[in-house]
Amino acid sequence: MGTKSSSAYAALMECVRSHAPAEHGVANLPLSISQTRAEALLHVVHDVGGQPDGPIDKSLHKPAHWEKSTHCTAECLAWRGHWVSEERRRRENDLGEALYFGTPYYARWLLAAAKMLLDKGLITPDELLAKMEEVRAREEIAA
Amino acid sequence: MSRFRIGDRVTVRDIPPVFHTRTQGYTRGRTGVVVSLRPEWVIPEDEAWGRYEGRREPFYIVRFRQQDLWPDYGGAPLDTLETEFSERWLAPAS
Repeated sequence: MGTKSSSAYAALMECVRSHAPAEHGVANLPLSISQTRAEALLHVVHDVGGQPDGPIDKSLHKPAHWEKSTHCTAECLAWRGHWVSEERRRRENDLGEALYFGTPYYARWLLAAAKMLLDKGLITPDELLAKMEEVRAREEIAA
Repeated sequence: MSRFRIGDRVTVRDIPPVFHTRTQGYTRGRTGVVVSLRPEWVIPEDEAWGRYEGRREPFYIVRFRQQDLWPDYGGAPLDTLETEFSERWLAPAS
Protein backbone atom coordinates (compact mmCIF):
# COMPACT_ATOMS: atom_id res chain seq x y z
CA MET A 1 0.00 0.00 0.00
CA GLY A 2 1.20 3.50 -0.69
CA THR A 3 1.56 6.10 2.03
CA LYS A 4 -1.07 8.73 2.62
CA SER A 5 -0.19 12.19 3.88
CA SER A 6 -1.78 13.34 7.14
CA SER A 7 -3.64 16.13 5.35
CA ALA A 8 -5.03 13.66 2.82
CA TYR A 9 -6.14 11.45 5.71
CA ALA A 10 -7.80 14.41 7.43
CA ALA A 11 -9.69 15.17 4.22
CA LEU A 12 -10.75 11.53 4.03
CA MET A 13 -12.05 11.62 7.62
CA GLU A 14 -14.00 14.78 6.86
CA CYS A 15 -15.71 12.85 4.05
CA VAL A 16 -16.34 9.89 6.40
CA ARG A 17 -17.97 12.25 8.93
CA SER A 18 -20.34 13.49 6.24
CA HIS A 19 -21.74 9.93 6.04
CA ALA A 20 -22.20 9.57 9.80
CA PRO A 21 -25.74 10.14 11.06
CA ALA A 22 -26.40 13.80 11.67
CA GLU A 23 -28.94 12.89 14.34
CA HIS A 24 -27.70 10.98 17.39
CA GLY A 25 -29.91 9.41 20.05
CA VAL A 26 -29.32 9.54 23.80
CA ALA A 27 -26.57 6.99 23.33
CA ASN A 28 -24.81 5.82 20.21
CA LEU A 29 -25.41 2.23 21.34
CA PRO A 30 -28.99 2.29 22.69
CA LEU A 31 -30.10 -0.55 24.97
CA SER A 32 -33.57 -0.43 23.45
CA ILE A 33 -35.37 1.27 20.55
CA SER A 34 -39.01 1.76 19.65
CA GLN A 35 -40.88 -0.71 17.49
CA THR A 36 -41.28 1.94 14.80
CA ARG A 37 -37.56 2.71 14.85
CA ALA A 38 -36.75 -1.01 14.61
CA GLU A 39 -39.08 -1.47 11.63
CA ALA A 40 -37.63 1.62 9.95
CA LEU A 41 -34.08 0.30 10.40
CA LEU A 42 -35.09 -3.12 9.05
CA HIS A 43 -36.99 -1.64 6.09
CA VAL A 44 -35.69 -3.18 2.85
CA VAL A 45 -33.46 -0.50 1.29
CA HIS A 46 -34.68 -0.91 -2.30
CA ASP A 47 -38.33 -0.46 -1.22
CA VAL A 48 -38.44 3.28 -1.91
CA GLY A 49 -42.11 3.62 -2.91
CA GLY A 50 -43.77 6.58 -1.25
CA GLN A 51 -40.54 8.31 -0.31
CA PRO A 52 -39.99 11.84 -1.62
CA ASP A 53 -37.45 12.20 -4.41
CA GLY A 54 -36.21 14.84 -6.79
CA PRO A 55 -36.50 14.88 -10.58
CA ILE A 56 -35.03 11.85 -12.33
CA ASP A 57 -32.16 12.38 -14.78
CA LYS A 58 -33.45 10.58 -17.90
CA SER A 59 -30.48 11.40 -20.12
CA LEU A 60 -28.83 8.37 -21.67
CA HIS A 61 -25.67 7.20 -19.94
CA LYS A 62 -22.96 5.64 -22.08
CA PRO A 63 -21.60 2.74 -20.00
CA ALA A 64 -17.92 3.00 -19.11
CA HIS A 65 -15.61 0.04 -19.59
CA TRP A 66 -15.58 -0.82 -15.87
CA GLU A 67 -19.39 -0.79 -15.82
CA LYS A 68 -19.60 -3.25 -18.72
CA SER A 69 -16.95 -5.44 -17.08
CA THR A 70 -18.90 -5.40 -13.83
CA HIS A 71 -22.11 -6.45 -15.58
CA CYS A 72 -20.28 -9.24 -17.42
CA THR A 73 -18.62 -10.45 -14.21
CA ALA A 74 -21.97 -10.60 -12.41
CA GLU A 75 -23.57 -12.53 -15.28
CA CYS A 76 -20.64 -14.97 -15.50
CA LEU A 77 -20.84 -15.61 -11.74
CA ALA A 78 -24.55 -16.43 -12.24
CA TRP A 79 -23.76 -18.62 -15.26
CA ARG A 80 -21.34 -20.60 -13.10
CA GLY A 81 -24.01 -20.98 -10.42
CA HIS A 82 -22.43 -18.80 -7.73
CA TRP A 83 -25.45 -16.51 -7.31
CA VAL A 84 -28.69 -15.32 -8.93
CA SER A 85 -29.92 -11.77 -9.49
CA GLU A 86 -32.16 -11.92 -6.41
CA GLU A 87 -29.17 -12.69 -4.22
CA ARG A 88 -27.26 -9.79 -5.77
CA ARG A 89 -30.24 -7.56 -5.04
CA ARG A 90 -30.27 -8.69 -1.38
CA ARG A 91 -26.52 -8.18 -1.13
CA GLU A 92 -26.80 -4.66 -2.54
CA ASN A 93 -29.43 -3.87 0.11
CA ASP A 94 -27.16 -5.33 2.77
CA LEU A 95 -24.45 -2.80 1.90
CA GLY A 96 -26.49 -0.41 4.04
CA GLU A 97 -27.96 3.00 3.26
CA ALA A 98 -24.66 4.92 3.20
CA LEU A 99 -23.11 2.70 0.52
CA TYR A 100 -26.37 1.98 -1.29
CA PHE A 101 -27.33 5.61 -1.81
CA GLY A 102 -23.77 6.95 -1.95
CA THR A 103 -22.23 4.80 -4.67
CA PRO A 104 -22.79 4.58 -8.45
CA TYR A 105 -25.16 1.88 -9.71
CA TYR A 106 -22.47 -0.55 -10.88
CA ALA A 107 -20.24 0.12 -7.86
CA ARG A 108 -23.02 -1.53 -5.83
CA TRP A 109 -22.87 -4.57 -8.12
CA LEU A 110 -19.10 -4.66 -7.76
CA LEU A 111 -19.14 -4.43 -3.95
CA ALA A 112 -21.85 -7.09 -3.75
CA ALA A 113 -19.87 -9.42 -6.04
CA ALA A 114 -16.62 -8.97 -4.10
CA LYS A 115 -18.32 -9.67 -0.76
CA MET A 116 -20.14 -12.70 -2.19
CA LEU A 117 -16.85 -14.16 -3.45
CA LEU A 118 -15.29 -13.64 -0.01
CA ASP A 119 -18.36 -14.95 1.87
CA LYS A 120 -18.39 -18.16 -0.15
CA GLY A 121 -14.63 -18.67 0.06
CA LEU A 122 -14.23 -18.45 -3.72
CA ILE A 123 -11.41 -15.94 -3.26
CA THR A 124 -9.32 -14.96 -0.24
CA PRO A 125 -8.93 -11.42 1.15
CA ASP A 126 -5.23 -11.64 0.24
CA GLU A 127 -6.06 -12.41 -3.39
CA LEU A 128 -8.53 -9.51 -3.54
CA LEU A 129 -6.09 -7.03 -1.96
CA ALA A 130 -3.27 -8.19 -4.24
CA LYS A 131 -5.48 -7.64 -7.30
CA MET A 132 -6.60 -4.21 -6.05
CA GLU A 133 -2.94 -3.23 -5.54
CA GLU A 134 -2.12 -4.49 -9.04
CA VAL A 135 -4.93 -2.45 -10.60
CA ARG A 136 -4.08 0.61 -8.53
CA ALA A 137 -0.45 0.45 -9.74
CA ARG A 138 -1.51 -0.18 -13.34
CA GLU A 139 -3.97 2.71 -13.35
CA GLU A 140 -1.52 4.90 -11.38
CA ILE A 141 -4.18 5.82 -8.82
CA ALA A 142 -2.66 7.94 -6.05
CA ALA A 143 -2.86 6.28 -2.63
CA MET B 1 -51.97 -25.25 -8.83
CA SER B 2 -52.79 -21.59 -8.30
CA ARG B 3 -54.90 -20.79 -5.26
CA PHE B 4 -56.32 -17.57 -6.72
CA ARG B 5 -58.03 -16.76 -10.01
CA ILE B 6 -58.12 -13.61 -12.13
CA GLY B 7 -60.67 -11.26 -10.60
CA ASP B 8 -60.23 -12.52 -7.03
CA ARG B 9 -59.98 -9.82 -4.39
CA VAL B 10 -56.90 -10.43 -2.25
CA THR B 11 -55.33 -8.75 0.79
CA VAL B 12 -51.55 -8.60 1.15
CA ARG B 13 -50.44 -10.26 4.38
CA ASP B 14 -48.61 -8.06 6.86
CA ILE B 15 -45.88 -10.52 7.82
CA PRO B 16 -42.30 -9.57 8.77
CA PRO B 17 -39.96 -9.25 5.76
CA VAL B 18 -37.19 -11.31 7.49
CA PHE B 19 -34.45 -9.07 6.07
CA HIS B 20 -35.30 -9.46 2.41
CA THR B 21 -38.45 -9.47 0.32
CA ARG B 22 -39.80 -8.07 -2.91
CA THR B 23 -43.15 -7.25 -1.28
CA GLN B 24 -43.37 -3.48 -1.01
CA GLY B 25 -44.12 -2.10 2.45
CA TYR B 26 -46.87 0.15 1.10
CA THR B 27 -48.90 -2.86 -0.07
CA ARG B 28 -49.02 -4.63 3.31
CA GLY B 29 -52.55 -5.01 4.55
CA ARG B 30 -53.98 -3.47 1.35
CA THR B 31 -56.60 -5.10 -0.83
CA GLY B 32 -56.50 -5.37 -4.61
CA VAL B 33 -57.65 -7.56 -7.51
CA VAL B 34 -55.72 -10.36 -9.22
CA VAL B 35 -55.31 -9.32 -12.88
CA SER B 36 -52.75 -11.84 -14.12
CA LEU B 37 -51.27 -15.21 -13.18
CA ARG B 38 -47.52 -15.71 -13.43
CA PRO B 39 -45.61 -18.98 -13.69
CA GLU B 40 -44.31 -20.74 -10.59
CA TRP B 41 -40.84 -19.67 -9.54
CA VAL B 42 -38.57 -19.85 -6.49
CA ILE B 43 -39.72 -17.25 -3.96
CA PRO B 44 -37.38 -14.23 -3.58
CA GLU B 45 -37.02 -14.94 0.16
CA ASP B 46 -35.22 -18.20 -0.74
CA GLU B 47 -33.26 -17.08 -3.82
CA ALA B 48 -31.89 -14.09 -1.91
CA TRP B 49 -30.15 -16.40 0.58
CA GLY B 50 -28.66 -18.83 -1.90
CA ARG B 51 -31.51 -21.37 -1.93
CA TYR B 52 -31.70 -21.44 -5.72
CA GLU B 53 -33.76 -24.66 -5.67
CA GLY B 54 -35.97 -23.38 -2.85
CA ARG B 55 -39.74 -23.22 -2.46
CA ARG B 56 -41.58 -22.68 -5.75
CA GLU B 57 -44.90 -20.84 -5.70
CA PRO B 58 -47.29 -19.30 -8.21
CA PHE B 59 -46.95 -15.54 -8.63
CA TYR B 60 -49.77 -13.06 -9.19
CA ILE B 61 -50.04 -9.55 -10.58
CA VAL B 62 -52.38 -7.60 -8.29
CA ARG B 63 -53.95 -4.27 -9.20
CA PHE B 64 -54.60 -1.69 -6.46
CA ARG B 65 -56.39 1.62 -6.54
CA GLN B 66 -53.77 4.29 -5.84
CA GLN B 67 -56.21 5.87 -3.39
CA ASP B 68 -56.14 2.63 -1.38
CA LEU B 69 -52.34 2.72 -1.13
CA TRP B 70 -51.67 6.38 -0.34
CA PRO B 71 -53.88 8.22 2.15
CA ASP B 72 -53.02 11.61 0.63
CA TYR B 73 -53.07 10.51 -3.03
CA GLY B 74 -53.68 13.58 -5.17
CA GLY B 75 -54.18 11.98 -8.60
CA ALA B 76 -57.27 10.79 -10.42
CA PRO B 77 -59.55 8.36 -8.53
CA LEU B 78 -59.24 5.87 -11.42
CA ASP B 79 -55.44 5.61 -11.11
CA THR B 80 -54.14 2.12 -10.36
CA LEU B 81 -50.85 0.40 -9.55
CA GLU B 82 -49.91 -3.18 -10.42
CA THR B 83 -47.25 -5.24 -8.70
CA GLU B 84 -46.31 -8.87 -8.21
CA PHE B 85 -46.52 -11.25 -5.23
CA SER B 86 -45.72 -14.86 -4.53
CA GLU B 87 -48.71 -16.82 -3.22
CA ARG B 88 -47.62 -16.79 0.44
CA TRP B 89 -48.10 -13.03 0.60
CA LEU B 90 -51.79 -13.12 -0.39
CA ALA B 91 -54.96 -13.98 1.51
CA PRO B 92 -58.59 -13.90 0.31
CA ALA B 93 -60.06 -10.44 0.99
CA SER B 94 -62.59 -10.56 3.79
